[in-house]
Amino acid sequence: MTTAPRAPHEGNLPPGGYIHREPSFLRRALPWLVLAALVVGFGVLAYFLAQSMQGRQRSFSIYFVEGGWIRFLLFLLAASGVLALTSLIGQRWGQARTGRRISYLAVLGDQLTHLFLILVVLVAIYPLFYVLLAAFDPRNSLFAFPDFENPNILYRSGLLPNLDVLSLENFARLFTGITLPGWQVLLAGLGGAALAAVLLFALAARLGRESAGLVRGRTWAMYLLVGALAALVVFMTPAQFTGPDNESRFVLSVRNTLLVSGLTGVLAILLSTTAGYAMARLRFPGRFQMLLFYIFIQMFPVFLALVAVYALMVLLGLTNTFTGLILAYSGGAIAFNTWIFKGYVESLPESLEEAAMVDGATRWQTFLRVVLPLSGGMLAFIFLNQFIGTYAEFILANVLLTGVEKWTVGVMLLSFTQGQFSTKWGVFAAAATLGALPIVALFYGFQRYFVGGTVAGGVKE
Amino acid sequence: MTLTASPRPRTAAPPDGVRGILLAILILAVLLGSAALIGWLLSGVTARFVPQAPPYLILVYTLGALLLGMPVVARLFPWMVNWYYLVPSLVFLAAFTVLPIVLTVNYAFTNYSGQNSGNPDTGVRTEAVLSADRRTLTLAELPEGASSLAEFLRCRNASCVGDTAILYDEDASTPVRAQIASVQGQSITLTAPVAETFQPASVTRLNRYEYVGLANFREIFGRASSALWPVFVWTVVFAFSTVVINAIAGLILGILLYNKRLKGRNIYRTLLFLPWAIPAVISVQMWKALLNQQFGIVNKTLGLLGIAAVPWLGDPLWAKISVLLVNLWLGFPYMMTATISALATINDDLYEAASIDGASRWQQIQNITLPLLRTSFTPILLSGFAFNFNNFGIIYLLTGGGPPQEGRDATAQSTDILLSWGYNTAFAASGGQNYALASAIALIIFFLTLGISLVNFKAAGVFEEARR
Amino acid sequence: MKKALTVLSLALLGSASAANLTVWTHFGGAELAWLRAQADAFKKATGHNIQLVSVPFDQIPDKLIQSAPKGQGPDLVVTLPQDRLGQLAAAGVIDSMDRYVTSRSDLDRTALSAMTYKGKLFGLPMFAESVALIYNKKLVPQAPTTWAQFLSAAQKNTGNGRFGFLMDLSNAYMNYGVISAYGGYVFKNNNGTLNTKDVGLANAGADKAAAFLNDLRYKYNLVPEGVDGGAAKSAFVDGRAAMILTGPWDMGDIKKAGIDYGIAPFPTPPGASGKWSPFVGVQGAMLNAYSKNKAAAAQFAREIVKSDAQVSFNKAGGRIPVSLSARTKLKNDPVVAGFGRTISMGTPMPNVVEMGAVWAPWSNAVAQSVQKPNQNYSQINERAVQEINKNIK
Repeated sequence: MTTAPRAPHEGNLPPGGYIHREPSFLRRALPWLVLAALVVGFGVLAYFLAQSMQGRQRSFSIYFVEGGWIRFLLFLLAASGVLALTSLIGQRWGQARTGRRISYLAVLGDQLTHLFLILVVLVAIYPLFYVLLAAFDPRNSLFAFPDFENPNILYRSGLLPNLDVLSLENFARLFTGITLPGWQVLLAGLGGAALAAVLLFALAARLGRESAGLVRGRTWAMYLLVGALAALVVFMTPAQFTGPDNESRFVLSVRNTLLVSGLTGVLAILLSTTAGYAMARLRFPGRFQMLLFYIFIQMFPVFLALVAVYALMVLLGLTNTFTGLILAYSGGAIAFNTWIFKGYVESLPESLEEAAMVDGATRWQTFLRVVLPLSGGMLAFIFLNQFIGTYAEFILANVLLTGVEKWTVGVMLLSFTQGQFSTKWGVFAAAATLGALPIVALFYGFQRYFVGGTVAGGVKE
Repeated sequence: MTLTASPRPRTAAPPDGVRGILLAILILAVLLGSAALIGWLLSGVTARFVPQAPPYLILVYTLGALLLGMPVVARLFPWMVNWYYLVPSLVFLAAFTVLPIVLTVNYAFTNYSGQNSGNPDTGVRTEAVLSADRRTLTLAELPEGASSLAEFLRCRNASCVGDTAILYDEDASTPVRAQIASVQGQSITLTAPVAETFQPASVTRLNRYEYVGLANFREIFGRASSALWPVFVWTVVFAFSTVVINAIAGLILGILLYNKRLKGRNIYRTLLFLPWAIPAVISVQMWKALLNQQFGIVNKTLGLLGIAAVPWLGDPLWAKISVLLVNLWLGFPYMMTATISALATINDDLYEAASIDGASRWQQIQNITLPLLRTSFTPILLSGFAFNFNNFGIIYLLTGGGPPQEGRDATAQSTDILLSWGYNTAFAASGGQNYALASAIALIIFFLTLGISLVNFKAAGVFEEARR
Repeated sequence: MKKALTVLSLALLGSASAANLTVWTHFGGAELAWLRAQADAFKKATGHNIQLVSVPFDQIPDKLIQSAPKGQGPDLVVTLPQDRLGQLAAAGVIDSMDRYVTSRSDLDRTALSAMTYKGKLFGLPMFAESVALIYNKKLVPQAPTTWAQFLSAAQKNTGNGRFGFLMDLSNAYMNYGVISAYGGYVFKNNNGTLNTKDVGLANAGADKAAAFLNDLRYKYNLVPEGVDGGAAKSAFVDGRAAMILTGPWDMGDIKKAGIDYGIAPFPTPPGASGKWSPFVGVQGAMLNAYSKNKAAAAQFAREIVKSDAQVSFNKAGGRIPVSLSARTKLKNDPVVAGFGRTISMGTPMPNVVEMGAVWAPWSNAVAQSVQKPNQNYSQINERAVQEINKNIK
């Protein structure tokens, strides 16, 4: 946009809108300078990368298509050409139908965007799909050799594992030797039914049938689901796992992880809400300094203090217990959670609390009865964030816990890929699929809290 | 206190300024300290009467004492009630963050390691005979390699006065410490006779750790060219470029997906959200398999395009690229989502006004979208930098710091960042459990992170927000 | 009544003396099942209860050093190799077993000496291992005895998705055989005592060995980049690799795949001064120095190295027992016979405390030498040895 003719319109901009100012020469040149530096940097990098490829032999285990990239570019070109044509038809047709002017370039742009996004999705999601397939392949196919004689190019290149041999063998290895008493089966069934109900309610809401009864039903189904899951997790014991090897205790590791993560999440809420509230609302000397202290002390790389943490746990007799692990985790995210909660309380209107105080409530009562009930979403975010962070942690868990019966999911998965002389990729793929499910479900189920909370908490650590 | 005829009434207002802060901290420290003391005493008493009592009872007792003490203090200093909101988090920070940190800082000035751990050395345990007065132990022989008893016992001085010898009975399961009065030839004289109930059969030394001043830091800086500098440079380059790359990818995708005309954009969004939803501990290990030079799907795909097999994890330079690419895969959904939610806050009228002016889409992006995004992106980028500066997980899981690079220490290979270097030093086989050196590294990392964060916070306005 | 009381007191006595033993193990699959069966039998025989705890192999030494002094360790570890024995003894976490092991006649002498540190027996040896050349008889009918035979057999079978010879080239342990053939060594062995001041990983022989390893990849085009032990095994199991260099730990899968295999020593590499002599690792059960139940734990250790137990252990996982009578019983087993030969050709891994300082720099040097073609091997090795010496101090 050229700058000079903009001046007359400036007054028309809405308040708070963007006001254009003449940038200095250097300011205008900056993007180009950065671009030039980037291009040079990439050039140098590409040179070194190409040099490191010199003299490397071609792989015997990879199916080669000489000049395949030319074909791929031709394909892209052809696809763009087709899109240009369909866009033209679409634009003409749309204009004829609606009678309005439709920009050809806009239509074409959208079509090309689709093409680009489909490619991006393919690149980003195909690896996941591939691992999912590998989980059903009993031949450890993440490390399989392609079948060079196969007529199908997808098999010949190894891009797809051979679909004929798919089986549940890898999963079966994760479940061998598990004994479930009747009441646990019942609980699991109950949880499953509740999950189905939640999904149905969500679907109904998506279809626009929102009503008070629906919301109440969904809430109850949710409570039931959480309750059944919690009971299962708490009352499952290592004795139920009688399988011969470590794989067969995978479900136990999921249970351990859920237990640790859940309790850590609850503790995170208990520890950070009061502090966050005080930092936001109370005015006392030392408040600001304490907040900074919280933030800065947690910049210490805690897992290099592991030896000390371990010594502490020995002193307390809590090594190799989940309690010790939970306590060690809980110290870790206080600053972040306090900061987030402080920001949230500040965004609440102060008048509500003032009204309650005028009615004779104390500070503490105000906090309990006014602020906390309003912070459901934020508390959910703090819980989920802590839960998911803990779920993926493996270093502290690995040092503080010994023995397969105590392992968390992360430690268990590590043991599949870092064996002494062998790696079990097939079992890993199966376990990864199952282990990721709870977190993926949480993410998609509570996307709203996540996106809001994480972006709001951008200023962290 | 209330009985004294003090003219000053107890006020609900704390003293102002630094004095108020210090006073409050002092009161809190006394409160916590006495609670901990009571807990310690009580648990000691419990342990005497009920030997099986779990040691963590001290936590329970301390908590109880704290709960009882808080109302008392609140009565004496009503203004302390404000601080009570911080007590739960403070207690936890003190116990599980500050205490380990203090210990670690302490280790940084010692030679504490797996071997110098303050424990007896069983490798050189030697048979010994106790004299009749139960004060002198005579060794059967001097273990190989030691020319004198003082050397064998690693005494601080030649006479061994005040040093410790470790005695074992026949079963050798419980080491007993004994003070040395003197050594002579092959016999050790103790300061006190050995207890009647204990029959020593062998003797060994204590592999104690001691304060070595700044030796660990001297070692780090002395070998800086093969560890500290290259690792530091790579850490900064990694943290910076990964944030920039992720942000650019996220911005492009976010802007494309914010186009309201685009059909099915929710499907794209949902699918592209997936890498964020999968725990990194799972997906990074998955990438390790996919990036295998001979069998990985990535090179198989490249083979279809006629591109030679890339040593993704086998070459120092390519491994760095791999780390960045995998981190891009892990991180772009977050940046994309952040872009979309930031875009949602921009007033549509701006675009309308611009299109009336005849501005093209590109000009709109350049002159409206990007400047407005800058406000919400600055904190995200800065925190992303701080996060990736210590992003141990991806390095450990993907490359393990490797592949090896010429001219580097075994603990600081081509893709090691500061944190993984410290980890290797303390916990990997390559570092020989050098806890003291790792603690010194931790201290350096802490100050580096602190410095970077101070700059970041200044830029992001955190201090203003905190003070508000 | 009196009788009942006697029975009761006996029962009480029995339960009082029955110890609860904790045993750490890195075994998995059939071997873990074997150990569990042994533990059950032990409980039936003695009343001592054994709790097996699975700990990954590479984490056992570090975890032991951390937790044993705090009273958190196991009573017994099944099993650890000798290369970190010195380190563990210096950290004071393992105890000598001389008191508990009175009869040693059934155990292989080399294995016992590998477990002996500063004149004391620190572990009860259970099995020995070394690498050997495993070949597919369908593709290589006769074991190659010379380098020329080996090369022609390997090159004949290479190409089009097939491999003549595979191994984990970047692993120092796997390559020690070649290094020693050219005259390299870790610590100079002066009639049984190791001189830790004399590290021979950067002498002319070690440099030549590094060049040979690099040639295997870039000159003879045999071992492609990025091949690790897992990939080599899966290629062999698939019938795609004619020969691989691996140890007994992979034999279970190879047998299961029904490959007609043979086991032979690796031939003397070209221009080498000595025979190929691989590292021999001996793994044994080790006693935690802080254990309160040493006698019972040692008793269990003695049980699992007994001849019958060793035979069934070999059946479970294919390891090579060090019990001489078990070896006699298994002498028709091709795996035991094959690896028996390479073990007798091999050099025991040093068990001194200084070995801990060697592994990482040395592994890095080996990995670097095969990272890309034509490198300055003497510089790489020189640097590694400098770092080793600095770490030993």
